Amino acid sequence: MPQKRDLHPTFAKKRVLELECRYCLSFLCGRGMRAILLADTNIELYSTDLPPGDTIELVGSTYTTENCDCKIKDIACITCGNTVGYHVILPCRSCLQSCNNGHFWMFHSSSSAATERVDGTGAQVLTWGDLCDTEDDVGMQFPFEECDR
Amino acid sequence: MATSEVVSQKKLNYAIHRWSSFSANYVPDNILVDKPNDQSSRWSSDSNYPPQFLTLKLERPSIVYSITFGKYEKTHVCNLKKFKVYGGLNDDNMIELLQSGLKNDHNKEAFDLKSKIEGQLFPCRYIKIVPIMSWGPSFNFSVWYVELSGDDAPELVQPCLQWYNSYREQQAIRLCLKHFRQHNYDEAFESLQKKTKVALEHPILTELHNHLVVQGDFDACEALVERAVHDGLFNEYISQQEYRPKWMLIEPVCNGTSEEDRPGMRGGHQMVIDANTETIYLFGGWDGSQDLSNLWEYNVPASRWTCLSKDTEKDDGPSARSCHKMCIDSERRQIYLLGRYLDSSLRTSETLKSDFYVYDIDNNKWTLISQNTAEEGGPKLIFDHQMCMDVEKQTIYVFGGRVLTSGSSGEERSSNEPLFSGLYSYHCPTNTWKLLREDSGNAGPQDIRSRIGHSMLFHTQRRQLYIFAGQRSKEYLNDFFTYNVDTDEVEFISDGTKKEEGQVPAAGFTQRATIDPELDEIHVLSGLSKDKEKREENVRNSFWVYDIKQKKWSCIYKNEHLNKEQWGKSHPAEPCPRFAHQLVYDHIHQVHYLFGGNPGKSNSPKMRLDDFWSLKLCRASKEQLLRRCRYLIRRHKFQEIAAADPLAALQFLQCDLASIVDHEDDEETREFQQLASTLFKSKEEIADGYNMHFLTDVDDHFPGRTQLFDTLVAFFPEHMAQPKGNLVDLITF
Repeated sequence: MPQKRDLHPTFAKKRVLELECRYCLSFLCGRGMRAILLADTNIELYSTDLPPGDTIELVGSTYTTENCDCKIKDIACITCGNTVGYHVILPCRSCLQSCNNGHFWMFHSSSSAATERVDGTGAQVLTWGDLCDTEDDVGMQFPFEECDR
Repeated sequence: MATSEVVSQKKLNYAIHRWSSFSANYVPDNILVDKPNDQSSRWSSDSNYPPQFLTLKLERPSIVYSITFGKYEKTHVCNLKKFKVYGGLNDDNMIELLQSGLKNDHNKEAFDLKSKIEGQLFPCRYIKIVPIMSWGPSFNFSVWYVELSGDDAPELVQPCLQWYNSYREQQAIRLCLKHFRQHNYDEAFESLQKKTKVALEHPILTELHNHLVVQGDFDACEALVERAVHDGLFNEYISQQEYRPKWMLIEPVCNGTSEEDRPGMRGGHQMVIDANTETIYLFGGWDGSQDLSNLWEYNVPASRWTCLSKDTEKDDGPSARSCHKMCIDSERRQIYLLGRYLDSSLRTSETLKSDFYVYDIDNNKWTLISQNTAEEGGPKLIFDHQMCMDVEKQTIYVFGGRVLTSGSSGEERSSNEPLFSGLYSYHCPTNTWKLLREDSGNAGPQDIRSRIGHSMLFHTQRRQLYIFAGQRSKEYLNDFFTYNVDTDEVEFISDGTKKEEGQVPAAGFTQRATIDPELDEIHVLSGLSKDKEKREENVRNSFWVYDIKQKKWSCIYKNEHLNKEQWGKSHPAEPCPRFAHQLVYDHIHQVHYLFGGNPGKSNSPKMRLDDFWSLKLCRASKEQLLRRCRYLIRRHKFQEIAAADPLAALQFLQCDLASIVDHEDDEETREFQQLASTLFKSKEEIADGYNMHFLTDVDDHFPGRTQLFDTLVAFFPEHMAQPKGNLVDLITF
């Protein structure tokens, strides 16, 4: 049995999503989770713990939003270059203290589309509780790289 | 504009002809429409792996003058940071028309395309855009919109087409002629030349060929080359050779105690040179602890420093100071001085006055022109500005510099935001100041951003100020522009947003620059960055030359090694990197002089330098080139004699050849020594030395002579010589 990371029970039941770019339909990520922004609960987005290394790239310079003090940097789809989300480079204290899913990679729902991912049998929708840790996640469409750039 | 003539231009219609790839729905046809607010209205490749391209086909052959790229309304990582444009009459034979890059912004950008060959307009049917680099290194290439403009009127294009075709035909014939002659196909050569009447080369070169290859008359060859050198035919070749910098530490003549004999250590001083008399004037500076007020002159022919004043303040001149500027009117023999730096503790309304002096060289007399130029429409008290003189019109230009303000006085912005001074002119005969440009933080096309630590040079013939580099608070400026003093127009050569690293002098260096209006060149010595963080990686000197006509920078020298030990020696080969030094240029004798500065040693912050250097930029001279030609000719003659009569060859080697060898050139010397040994080799071995083998049954000497002829021809201007290429190289496999 692979070692499970410390995952808050709230998130274990959540479904695993596959994300693609709304602009060019390229695959973005096989480990997406529907999430809400801690700082602004009206904003819906998708998050992931480790994105594939060859579908997105960090772009532009580091900035902070009005919502909180997290230092973030945009991420763009490698195929079309459009901004599809952002990466929290340095989380702020208030975000860390809130109940969070530990994901630092976010995709805007306006620029990425999600479909539910099924498990190995093809019959059941995969949940985060069932999902293996990255090294053992064989269900990915693309092989993982050790580093997340 | 691509040309200086008036040309009629219109938007040219085109269709997409071919493409390398595209991704998603970013099809090539998208570039036909300009929709900056639609991210999807673009061509985007499906890879950034070269070659990626788009080939456009024009409706009919046209003269294409320019290409305009539209962009997305926001910045985008897929924008082309670097690209090339090619053009031609068919899509597999095109020539390069442009190499450039787009800024990563939302503004349309237009570029002139090469539209002439040999001064003649040439038509294109196909235009190929080749992306090389996108703004995000791993992203695909996108082009939003492309507009071509030019002229497709048949009455213009038809004659160009005819010219182009006959030009190509002529070049083809010349290549054939070259090939035939090179390979001794006499009859073919003569009959082709007779039939077509196309000249392979200038008659003088045909003459050289006759003397050298046909007759083997080497003395006549030498005479011809000597005449050619004398007539300046090698000048073009010489001007294309790279400079080699030659530094020399100047040890002045001393006659007494050393302190009296030469200026002491300092940085932030000023120097000007009177090239007519070869005299350098040096004033002021900071010795590490205090401002200086001594005035010196250095006479180059006499190699001697003379102290003109130990304390100019006592001689009715300026008080001790540093970070001031001086310029010289070498006709009237007067030196002007403006500006200074003041420690914040010394800034009071009494001291913050911009005094302005003139020094009369012949009478050794200072005159205070103005107690405060700010009250006369001139600049406020500034430091680290630039000052140039238009001697012909007796006008001084002052640009930039930081305005000194006292923290307590409420007249300026109360914040610590620095104030920069604009561009001023001062007309000496009427004593009038004029503000030409105020400092503009957000520069429009005719605005200029003031700064400190920049370079400004006056080109006496083009009558323009060349301004570049510098610093504005924490920002290092990379732009390069001219200001026409007669028309009051600003023209940008480069706005500095394109990062052509390694191709232009890096910003943020305390560069020193000089101009040579005759050579149409700007020289830049980059040294040590003032920024301590940057210093570690950048402890190096580099020397750059900007060719004004060709609009091209070239780095002629960079010391790659951090050779700190070398600079610690008592006889270093070049000055150590530094800032706050001074560099002046004698444009008549083409020599630079450098004095002092701050070596930026963090462990001895008060250390300043007092070394004095000359710098010559050397290129092969006419004489050296002539000698080289003689050597090549005699070397060949020796080889011919050696094959027939070794004894006579030995004699020739010892007299005629030995006398012409440059014994300081190691390679040539070694070669010369080896020549003697060929005397004892068999004929076959000598023949093997030639790397050309021919199928035809020809004279033994023919290949060697032909090879030598091709070597000599390379020194003549391209338009006189046979075509550079060889027909056999067109054979591909």
